[in-house]
Amino acid sequence: MVEELSKTSVLTISPGQSAVFVEKQLGEKTEIVVGAGAHIRHYRLHDGQDHMLSVRIEQGASYEVITLHRGNGNLMLSFDLAQENAFCRSDIVYVLHGKQESLIRSNVRHNADNTVSRQMVKGAVGGQAFAAFEGGVFIPYERKKIDGAQQHRALLLSPDAAVNAVPQLEIYADDVKCAHGSAIGSLNKDQLYYLRTRGIEEQEARHLLTQAFLDEVFDTIAEEDIREEFKQLAAEGLQNGV
Amino acid sequence: MSAWLEIKDLHAKVGDKPILNGLSLSINAGEVHVIMGPNGSGKSTLSNVLCGNPHYEVTGGSVIFKGKNLLDMTVEERARTGIFLAFQHPIEIPGVSMATFMKYALNSQRKAAGEKELDAVSFMKRIKIRSQALEISDEMLKRPVNVGFSGGEKKRLEVFQMAVLEPDFCILDEMDSGLDVDAVKVAGNGVKIMRSPQRSFLVISHNIKFLKEQIMPDKIHILVHGRVVAEGDQGLLDKIDRSGFSEYQKEAVA
Repeated sequence: MVEELSKTSVLTISPGQSAVFVEKQLGEKTEIVVGAGAHIRHYRLHDGQDHMLSVRIEQGASYEVITLHRGNGNLMLSFDLAQENAFCRSDIVYVLHGKQESLIRSNVRHNADNTVSRQMVKGAVGGQAFAAFEGGVFIPYERKKIDGAQQHRALLLSPDAAVNAVPQLEIYADDVKCAHGSAIGSLNKDQLYYLRTRGIEEQEARHLLTQAFLDEVFDTIAEEDIREEFKQLAAEGLQNGV
Repeated sequence: MSAWLEIKDLHAKVGDKPILNGLSLSINAGEVHVIMGPNGSGKSTLSNVLCGNPHYEVTGGSVIFKGKNLLDMTVEERARTGIFLAFQHPIEIPGVSMATFMKYALNSQRKAAGEKELDAVSFMKRIKIRSQALEISDEMLKRPVNVGFSGGEKKRLEVFQMAVLEPDFCILDEMDSGLDVDAVKVAGNGVKIMRSPQRSFLVISHNIKFLKEQIMPDKIHILVHGRVVAEGDQGLLDKIDRSGFSEYQKEAVA
């Protein structure tokens, strides 16, 4: 069952509960507690005022969120892996165009042993837009069996677009596996040429490649209608950008 | 009246390096031509210049295709006019399936020609007939374009694209290289099936057996230092087989 949420400020998930949430209107702040053993998947569209999401994940619970950010307002995300065996996946797709400027800040805190975090951030920025991504992963002293991964990839769709990425890994423990990386680049010229030699208009080829780049995140959405809707919402956010 | 495809005194460079130095050749509708020549003689450059690859700069000469000035057109306009290049090294497109790719390509070309876009059923029909003939499975069509395929599979997928798009002029850049005997046959069959009085081919290859048995060209052009230095019929293939290009290379230097 998929449940629609709107401008939720507080959400408490009882232990053991499983749910899928879709939220296309965000308020100023959302606080979520995911109770022990609960499994939540959450799809969010951020396209308005500044928004702050704060999530606490308890014993053996998993929280998976995909946020589509369309360049309006800043986005602050904070994940607290509070108890053992907590799992958090917090993917972000951002699309900016025109003169949009925005900041995306994410903080993942491994506050308990045996916790796993995954984050894939993919951005496409056109026009004269500017995006900044600050991604923190924090692993305190004496934490054990921590597994964290963060990847950031951005496409610059015009010569005047810009992205600044600052990964901030603070690791104070030894028993840690933490992979991270960031890459910012333009559309691949050979790929564009290849598509065009088959008669596809340059503009359409650029769209197709950009969409394919972002789809790596969207294609992980199990629910087909939500997946297609978010792809469409991202395409709309790009319309003027490519 | 000028030929169907007329290349006259074509000059092109990459960066500061001239590669085509006054290349001329002409092809009539329905003909199959072969370009041979030592490495670096400009064979792949010619195919890319004909397709409008922005990496190459044309510095002189003209290319007239079906009465139109090809060099004035964008890459996609050339494709829509009927030019197709089967790549020597097909490009990987992660995240885009072959089926999606062909749907976009076909519908772009149909739209430009003022035709209606194909509905899903007609599209699948068009795809299926061709994929089966070329031994391409449905699974291969669902996978991202050229990602994780063997050299032979990639070449077969190039022939498949050619069969789907039905271009008037097909350039095959080393279609046979990196293929085993069976795969060469499948590729060769693709070309045989597509031969028609309205369609011409320009085949770049070093493989004389492939050319004689599968391609059976009407004319062979020998390219050295970016110019055509000799032309002939299939007899020329035997001569190259015996003595290579050295004779022509000397002439070109002199």
